[in-house]
Amino acid sequence: MRIKTPREKRILYFKTTLRWILYYLLILLSFIIMTSGTWMKPILLVPAAMCIAVSNGQLASAFTGAFCGMLIDIACGRLFGYNAVILAFFCALVSLMFELYLRPRFFNYLWITAAVAFAQCWLDYKFYYQIWDLADIQVIFRTVTMKVWLYTMISAFLIYPLYRLIDRLLLPKIHMTLEEAIRTN
Amino acid sequence: MRDFLKSTKFKVLLGLLAFLVGIMIYAVTKGGYAVSGASVINTLTKPFRAVSNGVGMKIENTIDKIEHAEDYYEENQRLKAQIGELNKQLTDYEDLKEEVEELRKFVVIKEEHPDLVITKPAEVLGYVTNDPFKSFTIGLGSEDGITPYSPVVTAEGLVGITIDVSAHVTTVRTILSPDLSVAAVCAASGGDHGVIEGTVLTAAENTTKLTHLSPDNELKEGDLMITAGNSGLFPKDYSIGTVKSLGFEANGLSACAVIEPCVDISRLSSVTVITDFTGKKEDSDADQDAP
Repeated sequence: MRIKTPREKRILYFKTTLRWILYYLLILLSFIIMTSGTWMKPILLVPAAMCIAVSNGQLASAFTGAFCGMLIDIACGRLFGYNAVILAFFCALVSLMFELYLRPRFFNYLWITAAVAFAQCWLDYKFYYQIWDLADIQVIFRTVTMKVWLYTMISAFLIYPLYRLIDRLLLPKIHMTLEEAIRTN
Repeated sequence: MRDFLKSTKFKVLLGLLAFLVGIMIYAVTKGGYAVSGASVINTLTKPFRAVSNGVGMKIENTIDKIEHAEDYYEENQRLKAQIGELNKQLTDYEDLKEEVEELRKFVVIKEEHPDLVITKPAEVLGYVTNDPFKSFTIGLGSEDGITPYSPVVTAEGLVGITIDVSAHVTTVRTILSPDLSVAAVCAASGGDHGVIEGTVLTAAENTTKLTHLSPDNELKEGDLMITAGNSGLFPKDYSIGTVKSLGFEANGLSACAVIEPCVDISRLSSVTVITDFTGKKEDSDADQDAP
């Protein structure tokens, strides 16, 4: 890896800080939208956490996933920490998958988000509704769980470009020497 | 992958997951009080949520008006016709007397409860996201004297009970929820009693269900159901809702009724919390017998 000049280092720190500030501002905006009004809404924080996991390391992704999960717990009135555990685990896993096996493409992001959002919705249905064995509980799965999952997937199309824009402008590009590039390929 | 599993990063991740599980377990043991992390986030985001909810409600109302303009026009025409009819009825003394009697029922409830200790009106910050049973958060918390499992009401009737209390924000479980059971009695007869408990199907219609009703009950549509007050969780004789329809349970052994709450729970803007009343169960007892 090429050695960076002090100026380049300063720019890198500035861009990284700004990128994370923007990430978290978007997360807070998603949380506020989720807690407004009376209509059924997508779990915006799931695609947001996935976007961050696609282009960042495992630890940063896990911590962000945990934070997003805590906000989901507050917005959805769930046991504090429940969604945090789920999203911290999935974010670390997704980050690792993108580092080792997947390329950061929209299609990969989409199916990963679909899988994680479905897991989150399904676990929510299992632990908060079906476990109590209430009458007509399958109605909740049809009219709430699947609808929320569908809305979340639609919202994923809108959230992805926002995070990609932040990444394109502020994510540091890896500079390699010619030798490193040849070795890598 | 093997390198990752052996790395410090992986151990830190495991530590984080263990920490989060710890938080979750700690939250369970808090007995209705929010953990401090949630409390801080709730306090910090409270003003933003209040403003955003106001904007959200306005947008929803505007879209609703545009979307249902034709329905509203028809409803307007129908209401105009009704107003004409009602104006005629107003001249009739007997009808007026009946109406006064209906209103008196509500006034009497207030007069008969000088013992209620209530909070100042609490602003509804927003509804819990995607909750089919319409739980919501209010802008008062433990610093305003609210404790878990306190009744939440409006002047019209019972709304629900507090379940998750942080310093400045409280979550309210409504009477539409199957997780809240309220012993109820008919205000008119005083003899027909049962348990009001939400169901998945009734909650979708903003109604709740009266169960464990005697098959030979004398209830009729429009009868007002009030709290029985024998659980120590709710004050006695507070309005809950009116009987919308009557029927029998699937087993045929007991009757049931669909109850229309006195309050439109899906469109609340402010509520009041009853912090104390005669016959209230002590905190330690209430914890053991939480709804």
